[in-house]
Order: sequence, then C-alpha cells, then structure tokens
Amino acid sequence: MSTTTVGGPPGTGADRTKRWYRARRSLQGVSFVLPNFLGFGLLTLGPVVALFYISFTNWNVFGKAKWIGLDNFTRLFGDAGFHRALLNTLYYSAFHIPLTLAVSLGLALLLNRKLRGVAFFRTAAFFPYVTSIVAIAIAWNLLFSRDAGPINQILGLVGVDDPPGWTASSDWAMPAVIIVGVWREMGYYMLLFLAGLQTVPPELHEAARIDGANAWARFRNVTLPCLRPTTFFVTVMLTIGSFKVFDLILVMTNGGPGQSTLVLSQYIYQKGLVENRFGYASAISVVLFALCMLVTVVQFAVNRRRNA
Amino acid sequence: MQRSRYSRRAVLAASVAALSLVATACGSDEPADAGGPVTLTMSAWSMKTTPEFAELAEAFQARNPEVKIEFKEYDATNYDTQLTADLAAGSAPDLYVLKNLKNFITYQAGEQLLDVSDVAGGLGDEVNGLGNYKVDGVTYAVPYRQDSWYLYYNKDLFTAAGVTPPSGAWTWAEYEKAVADLAAGLKAAGSPAKAAYQHVWQSTVQGLALAQTPGADLGSGDYGYLAPYYERALAQQKAGVQVDFGTATTTTLQYQAQFGTQQAATMLMGSWYVATLVAQQKKGDAQAFQWGFAPAPQRDASGKDKPVTFGDPTGLGVNAAIDEGKTAAAKEFLAFVAGEDGAKALASIGITPATLTEPVVQAYFGVDGVPGDELSRFSFATHDTRAENPVSPQTAALQNILQETHSAIMSESTPVGEALAKAGERARSEVLESR
Repeated sequence: MSTTTVGGPPGTGADRTKRWYRARRSLQGVSFVLPNFLGFGLLTLGPVVALFYISFTNWNVFGKAKWIGLDNFTRLFGDAGFHRALLNTLYYSAFHIPLTLAVSLGLALLLNRKLRGVAFFRTAAFFPYVTSIVAIAIAWNLLFSRDAGPINQILGLVGVDDPPGWTASSDWAMPAVIIVGVWREMGYYMLLFLAGLQTVPPELHEAARIDGANAWARFRNVTLPCLRPTTFFVTVMLTIGSFKVFDLILVMTNGGPGQSTLVLSQYIYQKGLVENRFGYASAISVVLFALCMLVTVVQFAVNRRRNA
Repeated sequence: MQRSRYSRRAVLAASVAALSLVATACGSDEPADAGGPVTLTMSAWSMKTTPEFAELAEAFQARNPEVKIEFKEYDATNYDTQLTADLAAGSAPDLYVLKNLKNFITYQAGEQLLDVSDVAGGLGDEVNGLGNYKVDGVTYAVPYRQDSWYLYYNKDLFTAAGVTPPSGAWTWAEYEKAVADLAAGLKAAGSPAKAAYQHVWQSTVQGLALAQTPGADLGSGDYGYLAPYYERALAQQKAGVQVDFGTATTTTLQYQAQFGTQQAATMLMGSWYVATLVAQQKKGDAQAFQWGFAPAPQRDASGKDKPVTFGDPTGLGVNAAIDEGKTAAAKEFLAFVAGEDGAKALASIGITPATLTEPVVQAYFGVDGVPGDELSRFSFATHDTRAENPVSPQTAALQNILQETHSAIMSESTPVGEALAKAGERARSEVLESR
C-alpha cells in the first residue's frame, strides 16, 4: 500500500488520493450505520410517516384508504370519549410524574449510603420494574380487593370505617393505578438517580459542610443542582411514559369502572384494533404524539433557560 | 490493500440461490390440479383445548380423502387482530373462522369473503344462525356452531338446600325467589356455597335483556330495556346471594371454578361450558356432583314452549383470495361443517352445532358425562336463540360503550338510570350520528 502526502496542491494525484481516502472512510461509516438505519426506517420511520397519512383518511385496513382531510381531527373536538381519555391521561400524568420523581429520588438518596445490605435493597426496589406487568396487576388487584384485600383490612385496623373501593370504584380506580405505576417504576428511575449521584463532587459537600450548611441546605444547594441533567432526563422520560401508559391500566382495570381509567393509548387501541377505525385511531395517535412533543419541547426550553 | 475473500462470481451465485429459495417459498400458492389432491388451509386457535377444528377436519377427510386440511393457529385472545393483519397482507388461510358476529361485517365490507350463497342454498332450514351471514341477499359464511345461554344448576346443592330444581319455565321472578330460597337453604344446611354466580361479562345481563325484551334494539341508542335486568342483578349482589362484581374482577374469579368446585348453585353461562365441565369432571379439575342445565329464565310465561335465549353463531367463510382451483373443495367443506354430518361430529365431542336434528341431539347426549335428563335435553334442542351482536358496522363501537356502562353499573359507581341515559347519549354522539 502506497503512502499519501497530505496537503498537496489541488488537482494533483495526492489530492485525488486524499478525496478517495475520505470517501472510503465515509462509506465505511455508512456501512456500519446502514443496517441499523434500515431497521429504523422500515420499522419505525415508515410506520410513523404512514400514521400521519392515515390520520387524514377513513380506512378499515382492507382496500384503499379514503382521503377525508381534517374530518378525523374535527370529529375529535366533539368526541366525549376522547375528552374523557385525554383528561384521564392528564390526571394520571399530573400525579404519576411528580410522585415517581420524588419517590425514586428519595430512594436513591437513601440507598446511596454505605449501608449494610444496600445491594439487596437496591435490587428489591428495582425488582418490580423487571416483573411481568400482568403478574403485578393481578397481585395488586388482590391487594386492593374491597372486602378481602389486605390494604383495606389494614385501613380497617387503623380506624378507617369506610375504606375505598379502589379498582372497583370510579373515584379510587385512578389513584390505585397511579400507586401501582409509581411502585413499578420507582426502581428504574432510582437507578438513574443513583448514577447521577455518583457525579456529585464530594468536595462540594465537604465545602458546604465546613461553611455550616445543614443536610437540607446541602441537598438543596449542592445535590439538586448537580443532579439537574439527570432530573431533566428522568422528567422527560417519565412524561413520555406517563402519556403513553397502556398495559398496566389495560390489565388492572381495562379502563373502568365505566371510563374512569380510560387513557388515550387505550382509546387508540379501542378505535383501531377493536372497531377497525384505523384513520380515526391514527388521528388520536397524532394528537398524543403532538402532546408528548409539546410537553417535551417546553421541558427542553425551560431546561435551556435554567442552564443559561 | 487486501482483496475481498469472496469473488464476484461467488456473491452472484449466493444471490441467485437466495432468490430461488424465496421463489420456492412462494410456490405453495400454486393452483391445485383439477380433480387432484387439494390442500386447504384453515384458521384455528388453542387447538390443544379446542378440539372442534381437528374433529371437523378428520370427519371431512374420512369422507374426502383427496382433500387435506391444514391449520394455521392464531392466538385465541387476539384472533381477529391477527387474522385481519394476515388478510390485509394476503397471507391468510383459504378458510377462516368467524369467531364472533361483531367482526363479520368488517371482513364482508372489506371484500375478504367469497360469496357462498350456493352452499347456503343447499343447506336445510334447521341450520341456526345462517341468516346472520346474509348481506343484501348474498351469503358470505355458514355457521357450524351456535351457542346459546342456559341456566346451569347443581342438583346436589338444590337438594341440600331443600329447593325445587328449575322447572324449565322459570320466569325471572320465579328465578329470583328460587335464588333467595337457595341462599337461605344453603346457609341453614351449613354450606358455604352462594346461590348464584354471575360472571363479570356484559353478556350475562345485556345479552338476555336484548334477546327477551320486545322491541329492544342495540342500534337504537335507547338502552332503557336493560334497566330491569340490571336492577335484578344489583339486588342479588346487594343481598349477598352472589359474589359482587368488584370482588369478581379484583380477584379475577374464573366461572369454571365457581360452578365446578360447587361454590355456586346456579350460573347463567353459554352452552360451550357443557363440554368444559364434562372434561373438567373427567380430569378431576372440577368436583364430581350432579348437575344439569335449564333454559335461561324468561321474561314471562310466553317463553315456556320455546325459551328465548341469546348467543352468536361461529361461522366459517372462504377467503376471497383463495385459488380458484381450491374453491370447489372449500365450498364442499363448508357444506359439510354446517350440515348434519359435521353437526354430528361436533355433537360427539360435546360442542353445540348449528344444525340441530334428532340424530345430532342423540349424538350430543351420547357423550359420557353430559346430563341426559329431560330438562337438559329440552334446553339443548328447543330454544329461540337471538344474536347478541346483530350484524352492523356500528355493533363493535356500541358494545364498547355498553361494556363500559356495564362496569359502571355493576361496580355501583353510577346509578342504573343515569348510566343507561349516558350510554344512549354516547351511542348517539359517538357512533350513531357521527358516521
């Protein structure tokens, strides 16, 4: 293999060799990325583009989709089921996001110390995240059972005369689902916070301690600012996850009683796969996508302003 | 620079080989030779626990050895979703089962079913549920089984409670009284069993209400006809004669276990449960006890001679994309499954076929374990079965609304009147007037 001279005059053999060398390097790079990109394009990008197109059509999966413009979207304005699903999704997110954030951060702070058996407790906290969602739903449904469930029995023991109906009550079904959602995901986000806590320089804590800052002041002025990138990432992931919640609710309450836990993802499933209204279901998916996008963009903007 | 280890010739040869393999894989769709052996593919689900598919295929092949039936098994829960995807992709089997009436219209309107009016024309009048598959004078499928709902009762628990078993002409008022007597009698006898079990499905209340109420129409948007049926169910729940809806849902109660382990003396359920209970008693999954089935309680005495009940047929249709050379064999199979011979084959394994003739009834009650008393025989052979899911493009969406209404009422979250009024309002705004 011949050696090449870098920086020769333009139009010379050396320049051509340099360009060929660069092109070859680019081709090699592309060849590494291509298999993954093809998979992404075929399985993710393509369906997403198709989704946007289908949302403007009336299509029951067979035959050609009929273009109906904005009809699906205008129909959503008057759809009481959609309104209810949207409100329920916001209700779930409004409680699930801050609660999970607080509980997982609390757990991470607690399990970031050098305690005996800390590895066990970290594993125990993470365990629900890797457990089958169906098993979780069945177990929690039993715990929440109105008459025979241990939760209401404990509430009875501590003097609660009229314990909640939990998943069998339209008022308590959503809180029950939120509790299980938080319990399931706290371990995962705890792990992210634990990783974030490792990046907090110990000398900052030391300096604050010398300056006389108490534990709360150190947490507020040292730990939290250092955790900002992790907190931002966790908040964005939690927001998207909360807006898309589906399987847990489907198995625990199937959207009921009535429509009390019906969320947007389940509404999309109902309209698309149960009623075969794929155009309408796609329009709801686009709205859900826009909602996630909007909230995420706002979060990015707020984060950028804080960092400025 | 190192040369590639593979020559261009080798790469070309590999490409040709790959292409030829793909081409060979597509070869299974080649047209069948006229008069030669024909292989038909057919959809199925849970074949280990659902013997009807293999039974029908074996019985047909015994008479038609030149036709082979091969099955493509789908997931039972997601059957329609998976089948729809296959039909849209052009990879669905030649024959496919219409598991319920709710989705039949999607396949028919989507032009996925072959016209089988000629097969329907050759079938006798005794095929129940055939009319459901007729759209604008054209028949698109034939039913091979037609389930209907009965009142299952535990004879031993009735005896223990000192209550007279069903007469076969019970009205709802008589049923309510019997359930109250059973509850008191079982308690006095020291039995922990409940008088009744009502499963969590909407069908248990709504199916009978729709079938038995004159003028009731799912597509009307007026669901007042459900009120007396819900008030009765709630009264029984509040009286504690049956497990309440909340407990049944949170503890995921199985109806098979409730009746099969004698935790309930009566249960309204579909006719498929006969075969299940017989099999479970044989295997020891259910306890050994005397039981029978009676007609579902009636609105009034008018249903005495021909009790009104409900249930959807299970049909079989021919994929519109089937190869022409296979059409004759496919139609022959359809005629068999809906006819008396197919019905006898199904009856011999405890399945309720769509065709109910005397030989079919004989075959059904010849199955070891099926109760052979007069009332069970009457319930099986004589009834007016009305569709739970009348064929309409709006049925699936309306049933969704009514399913949510069912859970709102039975969980006692919403009063009956308010829930039904809201269901009507939603039906009109979301389904009936919006399309």
